[in-house]
Amino acid sequence: MPVCATTNCEGNDTRNDQIRANEELLISRILEGEKDLFLELIRPYQRTVYATLISMLGTKEDAEDVTQDVLLKALARLHQFRRESAFGTWLIQIAINEARMRRRKLRRGIMFSLTSGPDDDETYVPKDFADWREIPSEALERSEIREALGKALTLLEEHYRLAFILRDVNGMSITETANVLGITRGAVKTRLRRARLMLRDILSPGLQQGGHVDLTFKEVRKPWE
Amino acid sequence: MGITCEEVWRDISDYVDDELDPKQRTALEEHFAECRHCAAVLEGTCNVIRLYRDERALALPKGFHDRLHKRLDQTFTLGPKERIHTSRRAVLAWALTAAAAVPLGFALFSAKRIILPRLGHESPSGPPDSPPITGLVAVSQDSDDKVFHVPSCPYLHGKPKFLPAAEAVREGYAPCPICIGKHKPEKKG
Repeated sequence: MPVCATTNCEGNDTRNDQIRANEELLISRILEGEKDLFLELIRPYQRTVYATLISMLGTKEDAEDVTQDVLLKALARLHQFRRESAFGTWLIQIAINEARMRRRKLRRGIMFSLTSGPDDDETYVPKDFADWREIPSEALERSEIREALGKALTLLEEHYRLAFILRDVNGMSITETANVLGITRGAVKTRLRRARLMLRDILSPGLQQGGHVDLTFKEVRKPWE
Repeated sequence: MGITCEEVWRDISDYVDDELDPKQRTALEEHFAECRHCAAVLEGTCNVIRLYRDERALALPKGFHDRLHKRLDQTFTLGPKERIHTSRRAVLAWALTAAAAVPLGFALFSAKRIILPRLGHESPSGPPDSPPITGLVAVSQDSDDKVFHVPSCPYLHGKPKFLPAAEAVREGYAPCPICIGKHKPEKKG
């Protein structure tokens, strides 16, 4: 079992099979004309598509706009879905392609490559925050915590950020993440390790101050520099 | 302590994902039990994952669902109708084009069959209501422009030569667009 209760293992249970079977049924019915069911089909993926897009586009407005485009495009292309991958994976692939096109359109293309960039395999040395305490989930009710999480992500290079989003936010398996990004499982693991430790180091100083959140990022040295 | 902190940091992410074999896993767990720093790194890493995995982190903006539903509703309801309307408009446009093309094509056909032969045989010609050119036309003996004129045409330059209009046409002269346009040559032979 994974250490963190929220982390998925590879192909871990029959629940995924049930979800997939249910999705296939929904897709068949939608293709037969019951288009209202599309909302039910996409409901579990709206946030994951949005999270992926905000990590690539940077602004809420662009992310929402492209999320809507992606979902409409998925409806229009549903007959092309070949069911070789999960519906959610297919949707994320459309989202990543749309985000690339949007960035090209906005001339923001010169950011980071999804598949290239340094997969630094050197051992990352985590900062010594031995006093880390578990952050209660209630903390997420506070907007400054949510903003801090979003801002911390922007400090990562995109290839780390996307691996983290797909695996830890969207809950994809390592294999699915590798397929979507077109890289090996080993590369996904390397990027995940770096992303997780970097985020831990970025967020630790602000989140561990006994209820007082102080995420003044300008004072936090990027530990990988 | 069986393994070093550096080895733990290298494998900690795989430990979280349960990607280690049992032997490695046990080694890490023994290390965590003794090393406060690495235990804190593990807790911090799990904490980060837990926070980001929560639906409230990177949540959809307020009003997102309403805006999405509105757009989807437009697609569901207007989409097919729009397609039908578009299709009807396209058919109508094609029909009108075809309707316009038939008389136009007939007109062109008539022009070719009726007007052009007349031009070939009867030119030089002016407008149908122009008076016919009677008598002779004039061509310039000093110019190579191969144009014939009525004798009084101001555009006739050089020494004139007078000849019947039909003969001028046979010799390859074209009518002056200024003066002949006002007249119609008299048909000869």
